[in-house]
Amino acid sequence: MLDALVLIVMQTIVLLAVAPFIVGLIRKVKARLQCRRGASVFQPYADLVKLLRKQPVISSTTSWIFTATPYILFASTLAAGLLVPVFISRTPLSFAGNIIALVYLLALGTFFLMLAGLDAGSSFGGMGSSREAIVASLTEPGMMLSIFAIALTAGSTNLSTIVHKTALLEGIVTDPSPHLMAFAALVIVAIAETGRVPVDNPATHLELTMIHEAMILEYSGRYLALVEWAAGLKLLVFLTLIANVSAPWGIATNMEPAALGIGLAAYLVKVSGLAVLIGILESMFAKLRLFRVTDLLGAAFILALLGLVFFYVLRG
Amino acid sequence: MITPPIGSQLVDLGSALLLLTCFGIVAQRRLSACVDLFALQSVFLALTATLVAFLTGIHHIYIAAALTVLIKAIVIPRILKKVIERLNVKRELVMNINVPASLLICGALVMVAFLITQPIIPFGHLLTRDSLAIALAIVLIGFFTMIARQKAVTQMIAFLVMENGLFLGATAATYGMPLIVELGVFFDVLVAALIAGIYTNRLQDAFDSVDTAHLSELKE
Repeated sequence: MLDALVLIVMQTIVLLAVAPFIVGLIRKVKARLQCRRGASVFQPYADLVKLLRKQPVISSTTSWIFTATPYILFASTLAAGLLVPVFISRTPLSFAGNIIALVYLLALGTFFLMLAGLDAGSSFGGMGSSREAIVASLTEPGMMLSIFAIALTAGSTNLSTIVHKTALLEGIVTDPSPHLMAFAALVIVAIAETGRVPVDNPATHLELTMIHEAMILEYSGRYLALVEWAAGLKLLVFLTLIANVSAPWGIATNMEPAALGIGLAAYLVKVSGLAVLIGILESMFAKLRLFRVTDLLGAAFILALLGLVFFYVLRG
Repeated sequence: MITPPIGSQLVDLGSALLLLTCFGIVAQRRLSACVDLFALQSVFLALTATLVAFLTGIHHIYIAAALTVLIKAIVIPRILKKVIERLNVKRELVMNINVPASLLICGALVMVAFLITQPIIPFGHLLTRDSLAIALAIVLIGFFTMIARQKAVTQMIAFLVMENGLFLGATAATYGMPLIVELGVFFDVLVAALIAGIYTNRLQDAFDSVDTAHLSELKE
């Protein structure tokens, strides 16, 4: 019981502390690749502190949804983060839900963000919401199928079981091809869901291209801080999912302090590696036209579907 | 030492990476990116072949793998890049079937390939059990891409992808063809790429386009 409480507190702290660092790291990598020095990787922390201190300005046309959304978004994303094994293969909330709950907790945050985008009645917000709705509805099938393919290879929809089995090489290694297909699909889905470059550009405020930024244009002060923090958290949750499901080695499988230390170090290395990779990928590709996003997400869907088919065919 | 089940899985992984790049080529519109993906696919093919050579101890597959890297990952992509540069076409704009539909059809083709090879797989070698199905899938996808795309450059890449699938199939079914056959095939592919490059340039000169649909207008 005490163990479980300690675990919840530790994982919450780790997730909340690492999320801004990942955002800063990606920005730094992109800046270096553009031959700029770039801000420090700890700049997002300073931004969050500054925003949290400022007084929010709220449009008089908004309803309660607008002020409730940042809290709902932040809480649901954090809850989703607590369903994913981070540095230990046990998850704090594994009694409460599995990988499907994770998908819908993230979708709940997206849903409220879309409502909030519409709520203020500005044209940009509505445009961002409608674009986000397109992207979210297209990512959903790919995400569900890829997650099912991974769950099937491990024989469980519980993430801690999947990661535990993979880390100890039980059951999951019998056929890598479904796993590879599901992994590729999951990477594409993660890029689309977290609004990274080929789908959305997090560094722009140009009305032609923005999706996520358009929805949060009306936010300021502590609300903006929460929304930004939640966006970083969502990115971190996806990176954690990818890192720990496909390569969970090094993760702690028991509560020994030494194992926890190694698990934490391995986790930071893996997530930072993925963040650097995202920074490089974002520098290599241009943003897709909105109507070309279907091509990319169609590919994710087909790959995830093939992952499922491979599983059934290879297992006969 | 790598045990047979793990070795078999590594070969599977290599084959699956080949299939993944196939989908990349189908989904890609920029021609130079298609060429890069083809080069990447050839590297994966060479890695898979090297793995098979290492695990079975059949040495001539090493030579075939080295030739794959040399010809398909270095020489042919260079020829193709030169052709693209001369033609000054950056994107595939004429498609008989659009990208999402192509992807769906390719997915269906992969399933067909698996269904066809399903009865044969139990009789095959243990090591390359599943690669045969993936090899057939790659050949089918290459074939489909040749039909679905109208520009000569993409058709050339599709032809080369088909050839990669055949090589993988040969490695999977019989642990590689005799060396002399493979040397002949490599030479043929190189010559085919050269001829296709020249022919594409001629097409550009004659019609100001590399759309192969124009060829049906030719009369005696």
